[in-house]
Amino acid sequence: MNLARISGFFAAGLLSFAVLAPQHAVAQSTRAEAEKDPVLKAMLEELDRSMAHLQLPGFEKPYFIEYRMEDVQDFETRGAFGATEGSQHSHARVVRISVRVGDYKTDNSGPRGDGALQLSSIDDDPIALRSALWSGTDQAYKAALAAFAQKQAELKQVQTPPQADDFSKAKPIVSLAEPVRLSVDEQGWTDRVAHDSGIYRNDPAVNANQQQIQYSTAAFHARVTTTWIISSEGAIVRKASSSYSESFGVGTQADDGMRLDRSYGTSGLALSDLDSPEELRKHEITLISSLNDLRKAPMVEEEYHGPVLLSADASADTLHSLLASGVTATRPKLGTEARTNGPFASSFHARIMPDFLSVVDDPALKTWEGKELVGSYTVDDEAVPAQTVKLVSEGHLENYLIGRTPVRDFPESNGHARAGVTGPAHPVIGVLKVTAQQGLSDDELTAKLIAIAKERGLKSVYYVETLGTEATPRLLYRFDLDGKRTLVRGAVLDDLDQRALRAGVVAAGKNLWVANYATEVPETVLAPALLFDDVTVKRANETNDKLPYYPAPE
Amino acid sequence: MKKGHEISLKEYANLRQSSLPMFPTEMLQPASGLLYIHAPRRAALSHPGLLVAGLLCASLIVPAVTAQKPGKAVHAAKGATVPASSVLLDTMTGELQRAFTSLGKPGPNQKDADKQLPPYFLSYSVADSSSVNIRAQYGALADSNTNHVRVADVQVRIGDPKLDNTHGNHRASAVNSLQMPLGDDHTALARTLWLATNAGYGSALDNFLRVKTESQVRAKEEDTSPDFSKEQPQVSIASPAPDVSIDKTAWEQRIKALSLVFREYPDVYQNIAMLTVQNETDYYASSEGSRVVAPHMLARVVVFAATRADDGMDMFRGQTFEAETIEGLPSQEQMEASVRELGKSLEALRKAPVTEPFDGPAILSGRAAAVFFHEVLGHRLEGQRQRGDEEGQTFTKELNKEVLPPFLSVADDPTMTTFGKQWLSGTYSYDDEGEKARRVELIQDGVLKTFLMSRLPIASFAASNGHGRAQTGRMPTGRQGNLIVTSTKTESDAELHKQLIDEAKKQGKPYGLYFEDISSGFAVTTRSAPQAFQVIPLVVWRVYVDGRPDELVRGVSIVGTPLAAMKRIVATSDKSEVFNGECGAESGTVPVSAVAPAMLVSEIETQRQQQGTQRPPILPIPGAASTAATKEGQ
Repeated sequence: MNLARISGFFAAGLLSFAVLAPQHAVAQSTRAEAEKDPVLKAMLEELDRSMAHLQLPGFEKPYFIEYRMEDVQDFETRGAFGATEGSQHSHARVVRISVRVGDYKTDNSGPRGDGALQLSSIDDDPIALRSALWSGTDQAYKAALAAFAQKQAELKQVQTPPQADDFSKAKPIVSLAEPVRLSVDEQGWTDRVAHDSGIYRNDPAVNANQQQIQYSTAAFHARVTTTWIISSEGAIVRKASSSYSESFGVGTQADDGMRLDRSYGTSGLALSDLDSPEELRKHEITLISSLNDLRKAPMVEEEYHGPVLLSADASADTLHSLLASGVTATRPKLGTEARTNGPFASSFHARIMPDFLSVVDDPALKTWEGKELVGSYTVDDEAVPAQTVKLVSEGHLENYLIGRTPVRDFPESNGHARAGVTGPAHPVIGVLKVTAQQGLSDDELTAKLIAIAKERGLKSVYYVETLGTEATPRLLYRFDLDGKRTLVRGAVLDDLDQRALRAGVVAAGKNLWVANYATEVPETVLAPALLFDDVTVKRANETNDKLPYYPAPE
Repeated sequence: MKKGHEISLKEYANLRQSSLPMFPTEMLQPASGLLYIHAPRRAALSHPGLLVAGLLCASLIVPAVTAQKPGKAVHAAKGATVPASSVLLDTMTGELQRAFTSLGKPGPNQKDADKQLPPYFLSYSVADSSSVNIRAQYGALADSNTNHVRVADVQVRIGDPKLDNTHGNHRASAVNSLQMPLGDDHTALARTLWLATNAGYGSALDNFLRVKTESQVRAKEEDTSPDFSKEQPQVSIASPAPDVSIDKTAWEQRIKALSLVFREYPDVYQNIAMLTVQNETDYYASSEGSRVVAPHMLARVVVFAATRADDGMDMFRGQTFEAETIEGLPSQEQMEASVRELGKSLEALRKAPVTEPFDGPAILSGRAAAVFFHEVLGHRLEGQRQRGDEEGQTFTKELNKEVLPPFLSVADDPTMTTFGKQWLSGTYSYDDEGEKARRVELIQDGVLKTFLMSRLPIASFAASNGHGRAQTGRMPTGRQGNLIVTSTKTESDAELHKQLIDEAKKQGKPYGLYFEDISSGFAVTTRSAPQAFQVIPLVVWRVYVDGRPDELVRGVSIVGTPLAAMKRIVATSDKSEVFNGECGAESGTVPVSAVAPAMLVSEIETQRQQQGTQRPPILPIPGAASTAATKEGQ
């Protein structure tokens, strides 16, 4: 479940649009103002020309065209074992061109996304910009005609008509945020990252065990993106986003060959959101030291069923994996009566969580307890202003996140269609906030965990502090009834599914953890700790790789 | 934000060894689907880029665009210049020695029972590559970046030279690659080599076990040669290549200007102009005692353009300019003139009549003949093609027999750096197995004498002849460098032209063909596929016997068998042409050259090529002389 967050570690980290104007104030500008921007001017000209003249004889003209141009400036630098592996600075512009033929009720759109991609010039040369648009528009229009013919044939194959229109109308907005430029001290970060990756061997707090470390890497990644979206409906949007992340990973093997990996990352919308070098060092020292503890930690018992307390950190990852894809509404398979796809496709108005939990997706929420939220944004990637959506009230699913592809009972976008660089827009969470009525403090949760254990005659219970990928705890503690805590390794969690979420949560914390996922489409989850009634903890029994065949160099 | 990311080792491996492209490749494919770009030699960190014509081998070479690979491609920030790194070579040598003497020996805490097989051979090959890439399209800058990256290839061999872990189709598994730190931090360099060696050794153990099992259960192989040749260690420490130093702003303007030329040719629908300057230093150390430092520099401008005829046929042309260093490239005027020719030629081609099937005499221009020989002959003379159940072995049993007309000879000479005034891009001083480059006389007076040998022996030859080449991350195999075709039966171009007409008359044909430019396709040499070469004629003329002017045709595709076609060469021109390109094969993409005179072939069979069905663009390209939408409804 951390995969998403990880990819931020090496590349992604697009970023949210927080540099924008405050969300309720999507300032209305005019087309005349927009045309002062050479990129928008070229886009508007080519879009107008295409809407007016693009037509193959005997075929329909487009009824809708949208251009989304992204200017991405990216800097990444990486270090390993205390030295730089180099860095890269890139700058490119890519435009995604969507052409629709037919009408709002039935058009060429299909499950595979539509449109064409073109590399555009980074110079503001009007002819070069328009040439890329021209080439992509021609390609997208021809593809749309072919797809539309095929779609009509498919519609004739099924008895049940589509449950909703193919495309919803949206009120066009004109919103112009200032473009952004990338400005970082590249040499400074290159040196800093090289230094970070060498703490295992250079810092007296941990370097006694440096021979044991099999890898140690660090990376810094900065990306700023300016996005221009225009549509034949009259929407004109220019928005900007930025993201910065610094990360660190270190790993070794236990004597039995088990892989032990730890990593840490800090990310934000501005450089000032990142950890200071001192803070980062502290985290790294903790991580490197934890490997030593893990090497000595006993293996988890073979199988355990019973209460498990997830820290707010681990809960955030769990809720991200159980909820994020399910609460978005996407067009169901043609010919079915389904409303949407995923685990909650038929759960509208149904209970999906205990009564004391509620969920809202609030892209307008920019910070939480002083922390920037990367999932925050103002206008989505279909040029629709973001709305706050109450998804789950007292445990019941009452809404979905949706873009301009309607589903049954949800005819309009609520501004949640978002896209990674060059990707098609699709509904994605922004800032998903999960809250509990009468949440408990950490001590109260632990007390409750122990109380359940006593009730059931268990000798010990488990506490998950951090999760790695696929429900594999990185730090898992066994709590004995007398209060003794033991770090154990080699476990995997099982039965942490939608059913457990609906029926197995017995208590939740009151403090929310901020989990920022700085992925291609940045997301944030705010979540409390969760106490589950019945979860399986068992040995992962993964293949233990051979230990190094010969010792690391001195 | 103050939030721990957790990553697993698997992801860590991804992090180190691959990368997420910033953009999906989908967008980088041309609408025509025809073409790809090739990565530059060795440090192949670029991805298949924007349009363009891969067409393996020779042909269009297209260097690539390193920008979009944040994961792997890396460049040195200013100041991170890497000097002549004796630290790097010393660390490689020291760490290699330590690994070679430690592997297979029980550790201090291990029992004898834990003993693994020791390697009998270990090599480290580090490519330190810095490059500048500039790309323009439609007359404006699309991309401009600088990279510096080091990659180590670790080769581990277990068993003995007669049978080892590289046997048969396990060959590729013997190389394990890892990105290396830049700079001179001995500890960091040693740690990285250790990490890569551990992984490589583990893989070698696994593969050796499989090789042994397979060799016990299979029938006797046709060619029972050993897996690794015995060679003398080489020691040669040259000065490393300097960092790339160019006036980026000025070159961005020049590359843009080349692309801008196509505004004069509105029917050229796609164009791209690119500059790649790559300065690489290859460091090599082996357990046999070889220590080699060899620089390799290359500056290349590629211009590529494509159009589509009204009937949907896609056509492209490419033009490249190469030199060892950027100062050696032609003047801007010369390049622009040449690009203008390209634009003119494409506009003429899209209006040219489509070819008819033809079987008769033809002239291949020097450039076309060079590509033809590289594809049709050169690839089949690679040593490894003579061995293995999957290989076609066209020439395996032809040794010391006449395979070409006796007036033709063919050599491969990587030590030759220029032909006339033209720099040869297939030049190198040491191959990728640390063997010294040398000239090899492949065919003398029409008689086949030897093959292009790496350290993989074959029944007829036991040793390398300095042609083991690979892109970074691949296992070297026998490859071409500079393929030189020479002739003792030469005519002036005018005489050759006359002979073409005479030959056509003799055969009762209304015309002969003149192949001005061809691009290469794949040379299919495996047994399961027909032994037909694939070259794609780009510019072909009908030369009429009745004195009508020559006529350009499009859609020509050559059919027939390679040996037969080559045996029908009847005369050559007295002037040779150079083709510089990049060649792709199992061991990756390497720069090559081919030099040949124009040739008269008494019979060549052509047919009409398969073509696309997409219409040309509906609206005129923006900027096309005030034609707004006049082509609408065409």
